[in-house]
Amino acid sequence: MVRNSPSSNEISSEKLTLTLGGIWRGMRGLFPIALFSFPFGIAFGVAAAEHGMTIGQTISMSGLAFSGAAQFASLDFWRDPVAFTSLILVVLAINARHIIMGAALSPWVNTLPVTKRMFVLGFLSDANFAMSQQAFKAGERDVGLLLGGGFILWINWVSGTIFGAFAGALIGDPADFGLDVVIICFFATIVVGQMRDKAAIAPALIAAVVAVVALGWLPTGWNVILAAVTGGLFGVFFHAK
Amino acid sequence: MPSDLSAWLIILLVAGVSLSSRLAGSMLMSHIVISAPVRRFLDASSISVIAALVASITAQGGLREALAIALTALIMFRSKTAVWSIVGGMIFAAAWTAAARA
Repeated sequence: MVRNSPSSNEISSEKLTLTLGGIWRGMRGLFPIALFSFPFGIAFGVAAAEHGMTIGQTISMSGLAFSGAAQFASLDFWRDPVAFTSLILVVLAINARHIIMGAALSPWVNTLPVTKRMFVLGFLSDANFAMSQQAFKAGERDVGLLLGGGFILWINWVSGTIFGAFAGALIGDPADFGLDVVIICFFATIVVGQMRDKAAIAPALIAAVVAVVALGWLPTGWNVILAAVTGGLFGVFFHAK
Repeated sequence: MPSDLSAWLIILLVAGVSLSSRLAGSMLMSHIVISAPVRRFLDASSISVIAALVASITAQGGLREALAIALTALIMFRSKTAVWSIVGGMIFAAAWTAAARA
């Protein structure tokens, strides 16, 4: 691996590292947020059992898919015959925002060898994206932060699912404790925190408006993609000098 | 209920599509030179996707979610401390649910 290839222009980021220390920092950093994915794992375990999924199937799905919204949506397809095409489109719509997130992280993540890159991105989720893109912009150079954040989210999501699949009915509704708003409140703090960067204000506002307006005529998920692309294009054409 | 085979096919499809979406952005960008405009697009779209998620979920939720998010944003704006902002939003939402039950 060439550390400083002469062909690399000054815009491309310097090489990143992936260390155990970085992974540990990512796990610790997102631990308080990741804890909240535990009760939602429980909720999924319970809902899956109600739809007739076996314990093995439920846990496999959480472990392999690691995507709460897509998993809940897929329960609607848990009947015979299975509408596979619609299932694929729904899951794609829900997860398409990951494409934007992966692209946004690419200046940093793509400096890793391909196999490491794939492994790290396999744990890409909203919360570790939000944390690490902020950190990378601020000069962080360890991709372990992204991976560690993803690990701790995955561990909580899967262990919550296991708990829910076996003993979920004992637990109440997460909303009773305000747990359902935690992730969205976390995102709100990220957005507010980035408003110090003047160049981020207009794209964020435009994206918010587009997302809400497009809700009426686009399936949920696609409205977020349209909003992110619109905000991104705005950033290209109307950047503050 | 789907047959055993269909059930596992559902699981593999949900997992496969989710994984593909996680890898696609990075793979796409490995074929694109990250010039200044591309960098600006990525910077702006990365904050836009989070702002869009907040707006979309707020619009689909009720007054409870909207006010909890507004309170979180306000505390964050004043204090710059994410943890207290989130705890504020969470307590508000829990209190709202408790009040609605009472």
